[in-house]
Amino acid sequence: MERVRPSLLLEPGTPEIDSSGRFLIWLARRQRRYLAVGGAYAVVWMGAQAAVPLVVGAAIEAVIHANRAAIIGWSFAILALGVVQAGSGALRHREAVTNRLLASSCVQRLVARQAIALGGDLSRQVAAGEVAGIGASDVSNIANVLDMLPRLIGAALAVVGVAVVLLLESTPLGLVVVVGVPLAVVTLGPLLRPLERRKRAQRDEIAAASSITADTVAGLRVLRGLGGERVFSRRFAAASQRIRAAAVRTARLEATVAALQLFLPGVLLVAVTAIGARLVMAGDVTPGTLVTAYGEAAFLVLPVETMVDFAYYLTSGLVASSRVVRLLGLRRDLEFPERAPDLGSGTGSLADPESGLEVGPGRLVAVVAGDQLSATTLAERLGRYSPANGGREVTLDGLPLSSLTLAELRRRILVLPKEATLLAGPLSDSLSPPAGRGASLPMEVALSAAAATDIVDGLPEGLATELPERGSNLSGGQRQRLLLAAALRANPEVLILDEPTSAVDAHTEAEIASRLGAVRRGRTTAVFSSSPLLLERADEVVWVDGTVLARGRHHDLLAHHDAYRELVARGVESSPSQEVPT
Amino acid sequence: MSTGEAGSAPAQLPVADAALVRRTAGRLALEERWWLFVLIGVQGAATAAGLVGPAILGGLVNQLAAHRETARGIVVAVAVFGVALCCQAVLTRLARSRSAVLGERILARLREGLVDGVLSLPLGVVERAGTGDLLTRSTTDVELLTTAVQRAVPDMGIAAVTATLTVVALVVSAPPMALVLLPAIPPLFLINRWYLRRASAAYLNRQAALAQVNSRLQETMTAGRTIEAFNLGERRRARIEEDIRSSLRADWATFRLRVVLFPTTEACYILPLFTALLAGGLFHVAGILSLGAVTTAALYAQQLVGPVDILLSWLAALQIGGASMARILGVGQVPQPEVTADEPRSDRLVARDVHFAYRRGRDVLRGLDLSPEPGRRLAVIGPSGAGKTTLALLLAGVFAPGSGTVRVGGVEVSKIPTERLRAEVALVTQEQHVFAASLRDNLLISDASADDGALWEVLDEVDLGAWARALPQGLDTPLGSGGLVIGPAQSQQLALARLLLANPHTLVLDEATSLLDPGAARHLERSLGRVLAGRTVVTIAHRLEAARDADMVAVVDAGRVLELGTHAELLAAQGSYASLWRAWTRDSAASRG
Repeated sequence: MERVRPSLLLEPGTPEIDSSGRFLIWLARRQRRYLAVGGAYAVVWMGAQAAVPLVVGAAIEAVIHANRAAIIGWSFAILALGVVQAGSGALRHREAVTNRLLASSCVQRLVARQAIALGGDLSRQVAAGEVAGIGASDVSNIANVLDMLPRLIGAALAVVGVAVVLLLESTPLGLVVVVGVPLAVVTLGPLLRPLERRKRAQRDEIAAASSITADTVAGLRVLRGLGGERVFSRRFAAASQRIRAAAVRTARLEATVAALQLFLPGVLLVAVTAIGARLVMAGDVTPGTLVTAYGEAAFLVLPVETMVDFAYYLTSGLVASSRVVRLLGLRRDLEFPERAPDLGSGTGSLADPESGLEVGPGRLVAVVAGDQLSATTLAERLGRYSPANGGREVTLDGLPLSSLTLAELRRRILVLPKEATLLAGPLSDSLSPPAGRGASLPMEVALSAAAATDIVDGLPEGLATELPERGSNLSGGQRQRLLLAAALRANPEVLILDEPTSAVDAHTEAEIASRLGAVRRGRTTAVFSSSPLLLERADEVVWVDGTVLARGRHHDLLAHHDAYRELVARGVESSPSQEVPT
Repeated sequence: MSTGEAGSAPAQLPVADAALVRRTAGRLALEERWWLFVLIGVQGAATAAGLVGPAILGGLVNQLAAHRETARGIVVAVAVFGVALCCQAVLTRLARSRSAVLGERILARLREGLVDGVLSLPLGVVERAGTGDLLTRSTTDVELLTTAVQRAVPDMGIAAVTATLTVVALVVSAPPMALVLLPAIPPLFLINRWYLRRASAAYLNRQAALAQVNSRLQETMTAGRTIEAFNLGERRRARIEEDIRSSLRADWATFRLRVVLFPTTEACYILPLFTALLAGGLFHVAGILSLGAVTTAALYAQQLVGPVDILLSWLAALQIGGASMARILGVGQVPQPEVTADEPRSDRLVARDVHFAYRRGRDVLRGLDLSPEPGRRLAVIGPSGAGKTTLALLLAGVFAPGSGTVRVGGVEVSKIPTERLRAEVALVTQEQHVFAASLRDNLLISDASADDGALWEVLDEVDLGAWARALPQGLDTPLGSGGLVIGPAQSQQLALARLLLANPHTLVLDEATSLLDPGAARHLERSLGRVLAGRTVVTIAHRLEAARDADMVAVVDAGRVLELGTHAELLAAQGSYASLWRAWTRDSAASRG
């Protein structure tokens, strides 16, 4: 058999996201072929099972009449039904898996594409907790609906078929079964809701305990270094006991449901036996029909349960669908033109009329800001991550940034934000972003400029080493240097670095400062930093606090502006006891 | 210890072998044996009650076909059936809820044991094995084991009892008919053996592939800014499509196992009914069996399908649960390091001729000597990769040196039990953690007996007092994820407050202030100054002013101390420290003349 069904790779297309129901219907229409085929197999599969009691009844009749040929015939009919059931069951299952996977992969792809299209806007618009569920539980809740749909069709037809056959044989027996079984199953319904509530309470307790575990593991170095193991052991034990209590509460109710699942259909079997026996005695039906009715009453529990289950899955599916629809309906904060004239490579001259900051083409400019927040705001504006105030837009080579398409803008101007993270996967992936215009920098050059060669050498498999999420196995300084290397490697026309060496030691910072100018030669670079090592190497330092306060070479600014000196030479200035030796 | 390796700390957590898993399961069963007997008894009674129905129907069919049945007979038969049904329902409820109580008790013990095991892991193991694997074991594996214990074990237990009694009933009611079961057994056995040899791997693989899709989706949603900044959208999309394809393949691989298993078992399940009707019918015609016995046997043959199916379908989950249990028990198998009862005779920390390697043959420290003066501050500086962080870990007793000694007051630091070591040496790293607990609990970890007065005192000392007093719930304010999220500067101050409470005589500071923005660092330095006062301090320095403010400076490179002296001495020596210092201060010095 094939490794995977090729049809599973169906393109998602454009979803209908007016409402959660519309979205489910759109999904179903998209895979209607597989739903229809699956439904057909499900009908045969359920039909074969429904036919077994009929044949057993006929076989018992044959036994009563000592009809050898009929006994043999009906026995083999049972065997044939078994084979049909097995075969159609396998085919039905194949379609069910196909339907589930078609739906889940479609939703996953839609969510991924939407997340990528929204970029940094997504986490601004939606809380992290809210998107967490979409990945896992919502996808499977939606897929379950499409998985179940064909089985629902099979179940419904089986119930109708059995009802017709039994009513034709005997009206009273038929009525007992046809009315009784759905009644018994539906009676269980009200119990399922409190059960669901208790299960949710239990899941909440489990989540609470596992967040304690996760917290304990994350802070294990602190706990083992300073103490507090006993407190945390007690906290977890308390949470664990709460899980136990919740689980036992759930299990008690589940036990009741399980008992009723035996009892209610059982009452029906007793009724069928009582009524059937009298009918046989009165000569209205044969003993074989009694056996059939008994068997059908036992069988019908399955399709009726399927129908009740479907109602439950549909409810969860609609909730999940509404969350997905909400995500798919989000739009970016800023508008970008779809198309823009190709301007070719510019000189990379960047100007912000609001603050008066200008970064000349091919220059390495250091920006010193009074506080971190205003520096970050300015850096964001330079890459049009946030809107311009009052229409005074940042321009690139004289053109307002809003005239560039999003792709063009990100290709030409790379803003390395402070919150940038390494991504899970091989390190070489994180270090090889798509190049800006022209060729990317050779890996060794970028690594050496960011003083990151030794990090790569120290990893067990060098560039091929698999990083965990956020590169969490590396130190903050190592992560920062690798991200800087990645930004340098992309070699964009304009590079904006926000505090690129804040987590790096002085030795290393000196190395980076001495190499940055050379690798960025001929391209525009703005570095937001207050480190003397970097400022000293810049072509020009711009001191801003809302607007540009002063500009010039680092030592000129030091010589002429006391406030500037205090800001950048704080380590030396704030020394309480010792004077700097000269 | 003469190997050049990282002491006894394994780089990976152990996994328990199958024998230990079996022994543990056996021990748990033995401890709860009375409950188990009671449960089997109750479930057995419930099953016996459930077997009454087919017997009654068989009897009725027998009498009715022979036209011997009376109205009174029917009433009696139906009454017996009804009473049996009630008994079955009540006993089933009892068996199920009691087995859950038992199962949950065992589960609680296992997971609490795991967390206690995690909390007593040696520092070196935590440092080397990392927390990723530990997190998987304490969340995913606990979940998988929970599924097995909550669902698989009781369902299988009940099914086993039910199936056994059904077979017994079949044998009792129609002895020759027991043979009808035999043809189904070999194919069922073979197909399930085939399936189980492949199922665990396939399902775990599917789970891993799905987890990969989910974590990649999650990362795409949370790291949107990075993806956008580096223009990675297109590549990201291709990656996710690839992940989804592998997830589909892994899922389809499990289907390919089921598509063999399901039809084979379904076909096997019909075999007993077929044989019962065929053989039973012919036996009846030959006068060997009554009509009632044939009916009853046919119904039993059908009733047997349910429990057998449950039994077989849980086998894979049980197998996966067993593998999870092996990983959970593995945490408890980490060897505890050798400890000493010797009390340090002084507060002097001395490292002598220390060699250390994470991997054999790749020494990070090569004959390093260092002896910080008690009560004074020593700054360690040097380029990245010089072994500074490793040195900090050795000085704080996290790792034992491969050769050479690191001693405090004459006692090997790494052999002092963790609980006592805290009063001697503490390591402060840039990775701080704010626990999801109240502010009070966040402080109490380093001194559980401290009263509120002491807590406010340390908060004031690290300049957090005013901030804490402004909190709505004061010391009871929940912090960390789910509570008040505090910034990196306050996290550091909180960490310093903890240190004040722990009160060790020696502090090893690794890159402590480096992740902070300039304004916050200045604020922090005041707090830090108060914490450092009167203690021996070894600072793994990032910023050169820390070196200048220290009493002594050690320049470390290539695993050795290259330069050692006061700031002034090293400047005068015109070595690597002097040239770095010049680069750092030239302009500010020049500007002042």
